[in-house]
Amino acid sequence: MRRSGNTYDVIVIGAGHNGLVAAARLARSGRRVLVLEASDSIGGAAATSEIVPGYVGPAVAHLIEGFPKRIERGLKLGRHGLRYAARDVPTVILNPEGEHLQLPRNRKEFARFSKILPRDADAYRDRVALLRSQAALIEPMLGELPPDMQDVAAMRRFLRRIVWRTAFSGRAMLEGLMQTLPESIGDRLDGEFESPLLKGALAFDATLGSAEGPYAPGTSFRAVWREALRMQGQGLRQFEGGTGALCDALASVVNSQGGDIRLNTPVERILVEGESVAGVELADGMAMHAPLVLSAINPRATLIGLMGAEKLETQQAMELCHAPRPGSTAKLNLALERAPVFPRLAAEHYGARLLVVPALQALDDAANACREGRFSCEPALEIHVPSIADRTLAPEGQHILSVIVHYVPYEAEGGWTMKREAFVQKIVRTIAAFAPGIEDAMIAGEILTPPDIERKYGLAAGDWHQGDLRLDRLLGFRPSPSFGRYRTPVAGLYLCGAGSHPGGGVTGLPGWLAAEAAMHPEGSRK
Amino acid sequence: MTPDSLPKQDDEQAVPRPEITDPADERAPVDPALFEQVAAEPPFTRAVTATPLHLETAGESHTNRWVTWNGYTVPEVLSDLTDEYRALRGSAVLMDVSPLVKYRIAGRDALAYLERLAAQPVAPLAAGHAQHVIFCEGGGFVLGDGMLFRLADDEYRLVTEETHLAWLADSAEGFRVRVEDVSATLGVLSLQGPLSCFMLTEIGVDEAAALEPGAARWVSIGGMPVYLSRTGATGDLGYELWCDAEDAPHVWRAVMSTGQPFGLRPAGFALRELARLEAGHPRAGHDYLSAFAAIEPRDMLPPAAIWPDFSIAASKGLFNGGAALRAAAHIAPSRRVVRLAVEGLEPVRFAAVSLGGKVAGIATSTGFSPALGANIALAILDTGALAPAGLAVLAERRDGLSIVETRLPARILAEPAFSHPRRMMVPAPSRA
Repeated sequence: MRRSGNTYDVIVIGAGHNGLVAAARLARSGRRVLVLEASDSIGGAAATSEIVPGYVGPAVAHLIEGFPKRIERGLKLGRHGLRYAARDVPTVILNPEGEHLQLPRNRKEFARFSKILPRDADAYRDRVALLRSQAALIEPMLGELPPDMQDVAAMRRFLRRIVWRTAFSGRAMLEGLMQTLPESIGDRLDGEFESPLLKGALAFDATLGSAEGPYAPGTSFRAVWREALRMQGQGLRQFEGGTGALCDALASVVNSQGGDIRLNTPVERILVEGESVAGVELADGMAMHAPLVLSAINPRATLIGLMGAEKLETQQAMELCHAPRPGSTAKLNLALERAPVFPRLAAEHYGARLLVVPALQALDDAANACREGRFSCEPALEIHVPSIADRTLAPEGQHILSVIVHYVPYEAEGGWTMKREAFVQKIVRTIAAFAPGIEDAMIAGEILTPPDIERKYGLAAGDWHQGDLRLDRLLGFRPSPSFGRYRTPVAGLYLCGAGSHPGGGVTGLPGWLAAEAAMHPEGSRK
Repeated sequence: MTPDSLPKQDDEQAVPRPEITDPADERAPVDPALFEQVAAEPPFTRAVTATPLHLETAGESHTNRWVTWNGYTVPEVLSDLTDEYRALRGSAVLMDVSPLVKYRIAGRDALAYLERLAAQPVAPLAAGHAQHVIFCEGGGFVLGDGMLFRLADDEYRLVTEETHLAWLADSAEGFRVRVEDVSATLGVLSLQGPLSCFMLTEIGVDEAAALEPGAARWVSIGGMPVYLSRTGATGDLGYELWCDAEDAPHVWRAVMSTGQPFGLRPAGFALRELARLEAGHPRAGHDYLSAFAAIEPRDMLPPAAIWPDFSIAASKGLFNGGAALRAAAHIAPSRRVVRLAVEGLEPVRFAAVSLGGKVAGIATSTGFSPALGANIALAILDTGALAPAGLAVLAERRDGLSIVETRLPARILAEPAFSHPRRMMVPAPSRA
């Protein structure tokens, strides 16, 4: 069959990492793929951006922990230029008074850890063990298509599997999991640890990416979920060339298989003929045809914005219309003319993931403040200096600093235009408390508030999960029961973004699994 | 009298409530007039929710018998049900049907919205016409039915027996459409009977005769604009007059004064129920339950169980409940709404319908039909009880102070108890 210029096998909307993973997997299966991206660059929230000429860095996401090896191998990303600048990046909690605390990865580090926190060391070891064992139970579910909630047999198989696996692990495990599901991370940590620093850091990890405070129910399970995602991946890593290098490699896969990636091409609407998808219409009115359309953008924007509510029944549309919780994460990228100096920080830890966290109560206050449109006076930060491990990011002897700020309101009281400067000052002052003189070393900076992230990188409401990771919005219930398993009521239209199972973060799994669902439409694999 | 019922003194100083409805927001669903608190003045603190025509109907009432219909107090019988019935079938009656629930649905996506909402195709409906619509929830069970008027290209009026605002507003998500409850702003008069067209012509509405069944147009009655539609559920010729609440009493008086010499009588709710029963129209909330109101799952009915001639049109695309109805198209509903006639020449009360001594269903509306000379009913029967003869009802008859229970044979009516060809005639007969 002769193919005309605007007919493809697959159209993918959105060139974020999930869209590109799906596109690459489908392209490698021999399909002719077209990727449409509304902005002028690929990558979405996993892009590399330039702060000022000569200084480039990860725009939003900076460290990768859940990117599975099988995606990397399956798409042969190594051959397309994907390199790691750092593997197994350690996590260090910066201590305003006293020695900085590294979360131990091995026996030697644990010895040091227990010297600093002798009373919490055993509890920490137990916690990690419990977290791992619980995560191990759910980890396999993350890497496969969630079960079909409508299919009773599949559901029964699925439940039997979990129950058996849990039952095999013993009664204590079952009780532990039942306890963990509804519990808040704050209550759990208060009962186990003494050090406010350690409690703050563990709560920070469990709540990062959501607006929920450490005492919100269900946050304890988020820690398990995150641990399980980490098990899917290969540990905390850093790509050479910033996070965008992943998307560049994926784009290279798509291109090498004859696929097209078009930038600055917003989709106006999704064309539906009868009960199946026919293609998309671009903003300039041109129609692109394909029997298969995957959308990596927000589920609501896809189905109601692009496809139209008249293609959904009321209940299905209502499922997508719960008031979205806006993202609560901001990003600060700084260009430094010299290396930052963190007193008391060991030299090998300069490339580590550095956490600045207040005590649990202050973290909870920060969450409350965020809900009211303010930001806390004790911000919680994740700092990374990517140019330590990757010298290509900044000129010789100079550095970039990448900061993720937790609990930042989407709508600031008084408006972001008024508050932006004060906010940056507050963050920089907080960092300066650990790295004196950093204000003088700054030569340029970029602040991305949640609305900025939405505008620049297309994340609706600045939420990197495209819908909160709540217990009732996981697995086949993600983004909502009618649209689990990446499918939509329209044949051939699939969701492949972070709004689908297993959720946000640079894992590529939603895209990978959506591509699988699209290749086996009748659910031939369970 | 309780202190609570007295008007609060400081209400005068109260800050005025902000306007809820933003005219620019097409989706704002609620008409603020609905929530306006009308302070009751002592000693009449027990407020009667009155229709715009309350004073007119109250003036006509010789019986002081009232019923509550959708929260409004309306007359049950004004003079005598038999007299009112005789007027309905021999001349015409005028009824206040303002308690009907009326929704205005307007906006660029109004058609797409209704097409998704209703189980029937809505696109063929032209402006100035009305059609019967059924709407279902996602499982294919009926939520309600009503008359849908297309007032203009992108403006509709949906008239239902029960309130459905929550469902209508939920369904509006993603559509550029505004749904509002305009029940309180409209007065509705129902002029029904063989002489109804004649009387309208007498008033000076010459357009009435040419109006097809289901069609509607703006006319002027006594100088007031009235939206006149040839609709009604009496099985006979009839019209409904939709006007501003303020105009309604004047329209009522104009029609009454012209019609009275020709036998026009005002009538109440009981006659409306009887006429509807004779014409065989099930009423939502009475003969069937909305799927959201049904507590027992078996009380949720698919459209075909209530309207036997319902089928999904081939041209119909996606609609609420469509997927479920199409999937279950080959499965016959287990219960059906049917018309029953019961032998016996005097009015009796009955509810349970039995077959061979076993209860096979329940009569939901009953009445004595003068047209058929028999007790008739709308009943929900198990499908298994439909085919064979042998249906019976357990009837109660008052005899002095005692009650006599008798088992009366019943049969299923294939045709409504009353349906006159005049109903469909064009032009409508306009001579006395």
